[in-house]
Amino acid sequence: MKNVVRQLRTDRGWSQGDLADQLEVSRQTINAIETERYDPSLPLAFAIAKLFGKPIEKIFFTEK
Amino acid sequence: MREREATQKFLVEMGGSLVLYAIVVSVSLRAAPHVADGIARTALMLSPMIPALLGLWAFMRQVGRMDEFVRLRNLQALSIAGGVTALFSLTWGFLENVGYPRLSMFVIWMVFGLSWGTVSLFHGVYCKLRAQ
Repeated sequence: MKNVVRQLRTDRGWSQGDLADQLEVSRQTINAIETERYDPSLPLAFAIAKLFGKPIEKIFFTEK
Repeated sequence: MREREATQKFLVEMGGSLVLYAIVVSVSLRAAPHVADGIARTALMLSPMIPALLGLWAFMRQVGRMDEFVRLRNLQALSIAGGVTALFSLTWGFLENVGYPRLSMFVIWMVFGLSWGTVSLFHGVYCKLRAQ
């Protein structure tokens, strides 16, 4: 899965730690998602979408 | 729960267990020679397992606090450590049949802990390199 989490985060001027704190996950998790080494669970993906105020499919998508 | 808060709780809980473990081990080893063989002595020698169980409880609580990615990463590290330990014990078991010295059960924990730590360390370094 591709995602635009890093772009959304940096647009808001947040560090990975800031985002991790808001989502109550570790900074490593944010890093793994941003570098596309880890696809989050559905609940975490929804939490990310809610935090950024965007539909989930605008944040996570396939390469096509 | 935030990562820093979770880590602090774990350090307090695990640190407390380890301090208690060290105290109980020290006391039991000093007291054991003065206690006659029997149930009391066995119980005394096993008494460090009570703080060890507290350590296990602290670890389980930390697993519960881990987020999904960290839990998965730890599960991978523990699985690899378990596999390495199994291979080591099998290998050494065969070697014992041809005269190699018998090893203490304590060695198993050391092999497991070392494998777990090594895998976690490599994964941590890998993550840092990928982040750059």
